Amino acid sequence: MKREMKISVYEVVGSPLCVASGDGQKVHNRLAAVIGAGHRAILSFHNVSTLTSAFLNAAIGQLYGPFSEEKIRCLLKVEEIAPEDAALLKRVVETAKLYFKDPQRFEQVVRETLEDEQDGA
Amino acid sequence: MNVEASWRDSHSHRFITTFKVLPRWRASTHKPKDCFLERIEIDMSSATWFEADMCAALGAILYSLGQDLNTVELTNIAPKVRDVLSRNGFLSHYGRAKIPDRWGSTISYQRFDDRDDHFFARYIESQFIHRSEMPEMSSGLLKKFRESIFEIFSNAVWHSRTQLGIFSCGQLFPTKGLLNFTVADLGVGMRQNVQDYAGFDLAAEDAIVWATEENNTTRRGPIPGGLGLKLLREFIDLNGGCLQIVSDAGFWQTTNEGVSTARLGHPFPGTVVYIGIDTADLNSYSLTTELDANEIF
Repeated sequence: MKREMKISVYEVVGSPLCVASGDGQKVHNRLAAVIGAGHRAILSFHNVSTLTSAFLNAAIGQLYGPFSEEKIRCLLKVEEIAPEDAALLKRVVETAKLYFKDPQRFEQVVRETLEDEQDGA
Repeated sequence: MNVEASWRDSHSHRFITTFKVLPRWRASTHKPKDCFLERIEIDMSSATWFEADMCAALGAILYSLGQDLNTVELTNIAPKVRDVLSRNGFLSHYGRAKIPDRWGSTISYQRFDDRDDHFFARYIESQFIHRSEMPEMSSGLLKKFRESIFEIFSNAVWHSRTQLGIFSCGQLFPTKGLLNFTVADLGVGMRQNVQDYAGFDLAAEDAIVWATEENNTTRRGPIPGGLGLKLLREFIDLNGGCLQIVSDAGFWQTTNEGVSTARLGHPFPGTVVYIGIDTADLNSYSLTTELDANEIF
């Protein structure tokens, strides 16, 4: 049964300044775990004042490596995001889709993901 | 060792004239056999003016000399230059006292490690947000400016591969309505990155052109990239300010007169990004139509 998990960006980062790639990675780890398990993720940007493409690429852009566009569209929702930040996120998403269309990059990411899973097993 | 520093004020070519000197300076001093455990005196007598934000670039080079266990001393500094370099804290790195910033117009000189994102964020907040001297800017402009600075820092962290840190400094000009901010690193530079990761052997200035175009990226691995410099460029084009990049021997800038490039006589050993914004800009940076959240993915 699909569950709906709410993730607060502010809570994960601990600050309204969501600018560091490392912080984006923390958000990504949670999103990937929820989506990977087939559950729905609702990502809340409540109280977030500043976002960068570096943060969003790490948090969300890299989801397009292991997951299909359909799966992300179906299982990920964002809420309480400022219109300008939503526009930035849309550009990050479009750039990520293009990035992973390069088959070499895609294979590399799949290979690294598999290696990580084997290391963790 | 005595190296003469001879940059001079030239408003329209501020970056080029400064950087023509700095890399030569670096090239002439950065020889391991000459420059290890040395006392390096920088004779500043020819410097009649120094753009405060350029402390980021100068500081980067002097820091690398210090890493080679050299002692750097700046001598014969003209009073006007000494005042600028003391108020923003630059000279306190070289044995001088910091003097109070009477006009509150400096953005202090700082060095950060590549993992210091949070310190950098706090620095930006304290220098730009929580201070009364900041010129009145629209909230949209201030937000875009902060985001741009963070994009520059992230870019330096990701692409420079530097072990020596990232250097920043800025200056406010309240009466001119101008805010200058510069970030420098001593990393591999854009030409090398484009060669290593995109496979193009370009001239240094052409490598900057390539890196600032939409959808071009030297990023590899699971995290996509290639947007930061484009966002910066779009913001500056709308604001009517100036964005300049020096990397290796390449110089690139965009202003309201368009994009121009140049080849420097001597390479800078890394990358420097300068952003100058018009603080009186009344453009709206808010979107008139909201994007449907369901359309993002």
